[in-house]
Amino acid sequence: MTRPRIVLASLTGLAVFGLLWEGLVRLFDVKPFILLAPSEIVAELGNAPARYTEAALVTARHAALGVIIALVVAVLLGAALAASRFAEQAAQPVLMIILVAPWVAYFSSIAIWLGAGDPPVVFLAAFVTTPAFVFAAVAGMRSADPAARELLASVDASRWEVLWRLRLPSALPAILAAARYTVGLALAAAYYGEGGNLSTAGLGAIGDRAAAAQFGPALWATVISTVVLGVVFLAVITIAERVLLHWHASQRDTALPRSVR
Amino acid sequence: MTAISLSGVTKRFGRIHALAPIDLTVDDGEVVTVLGPSGSGKTTLLRLVGGLEAPTSGTVTVLGGDAGRARAAKQIGFVPQAPALLPWRTVAQNARLLLDVNRRVPVRGGPSPDELLADVGLSDFAGAYPHELSGGMRQRVALVRAFALGAPLLLMDEPFAALDEITRADMRHLLARLCELSATSVLFVTHSIAESVFLSDRVAVLSLRPGQIVGAVDVALPRPRQPELEDDPAFFAVETRLRALLHEGAGR
Ligand SMILES: Nc1ncnc2c1ncn2[C@@H]1O[C@H](COP(=O)(O)OP(=O)(O)O)[C@@H](O)[C@H]1O
Ligand SMILES: [Mg+2]
Repeated sequence: MTRPRIVLASLTGLAVFGLLWEGLVRLFDVKPFILLAPSEIVAELGNAPARYTEAALVTARHAALGVIIALVVAVLLGAALAASRFAEQAAQPVLMIILVAPWVAYFSSIAIWLGAGDPPVVFLAAFVTTPAFVFAAVAGMRSADPAARELLASVDASRWEVLWRLRLPSALPAILAAARYTVGLALAAAYYGEGGNLSTAGLGAIGDRAAAAQFGPALWATVISTVVLGVVFLAVITIAERVLLHWHASQRDTALPRSVR
Repeated sequence: MTAISLSGVTKRFGRIHALAPIDLTVDDGEVVTVLGPSGSGKTTLLRLVGGLEAPTSGTVTVLGGDAGRARAAKQIGFVPQAPALLPWRTVAQNARLLLDVNRRVPVRGGPSPDELLADVGLSDFAGAYPHELSGGMRQRVALVRAFALGAPLLLMDEPFAALDEITRADMRHLLARLCELSATSVLFVTHSIAESVFLSDRVAVLSLRPGQIVGAVDVALPRPRQPELEDDPAFFAVETRLRALLHEGAGR
């Protein structure tokens, strides 16, 4: 499909979704706290745009910082694990535990440990996104062309150089694919952490107060703001893929003629 | 001086006896080909010389020292069977990869990568990425990459095996020209008789299981080697002798 048609299709889908939502809420007279009509959410956002923009920027910072920290940890850890099957096997269950453990259960411990403010929020966002990045980094690094590995060995490249020149670029497609999923996870973690920690700003803090006060419009305004952040994050990753992976088959138009498809 | 000297070299992988005792020398500036069927241990032999594998017994001397030292000094230009170009590097960047890697070690440097690319007809593709090239073009980049290192020894592992017959012929003519220009020592392995005759000063024939040298033939054909040489009766004569040696090796 051509780009204008893709945009058109996406907008159509969103419009249909919004109309259905609005229609359902009006038709069945749903309670504002359960589900709010999109028009009312938009009105709430319009009432205090600065408040939501500022909060969204805080949440974006928490989530982005978490993802970046997770990325750095995962690349270093991934390089170590890619070098040793034993270490990889040893790390596997620990990473799985992190992946499946519910934040609700342990976030208060993190908050007590790291105190009030940003650190526990960023920590949570980084903590929950690390496993997916590690899995992607290890798989991607292992996929590095063995012939290229041998070529680098023939001029006695150091481990560091092999990582930098071969393993990391080879892992980039998998890492960026994982990032599509982890940015959503990081936003959810940031939102949750902001709501559950003392003296933090951000969408989660507003949402938490709105929920306590049973004030639907503010709660739903933070939900929509978080969704918008997610879309922006995905757009950033798509751009990063276009720039960093221009050499990769995933970024090429390899469509076969219709008759062969 | 001898570039490579193998004496009594064997290699086992568990129960597999890949190489029986091998004795082989490559003199300075000499182009030697090891000719053998698939599985006869050609890649193993190259890896031993390149210091990427240790022999089970025997000694490997490369450029007057052990193979690992030559490798650490970046004195070996390696051309693998697959071109192994890095897809995120342009042709020009791939051509200088071996110069860029491990810069702690000073290298003499050969002809500039750009000159070499022009020489093999790839100037217009210097900014292209590997996925935009044909198989023959990729392998030409791999040759340029090795020659640009300016190493005193080149090791080549059937670099043209994956190419079609017509491209292969062009590639061996190109390689012969590059070798004659550079005067480095070359150890080339292949299963193609025509390739071995056209390129080499000497051809050693390897038999199958265990890999063992059943005979060597001096190729006393004039240099520089021209493509027309392949129609010469003298060329056929060498090919015939090598074919006989291969049969002999297979018959044992
Ligand atoms: N790393 C290895 N582990 C086990 N066996 C190997 C290994 N490398 C090569 N071999 C065996 O050694 C023999 C020679 O292999 P190779 O050197 O690749 O031959 P060629 O390159 O002539 O086709 C084969 O039987 C192959 O299976
Ligand atoms: Mg081989």
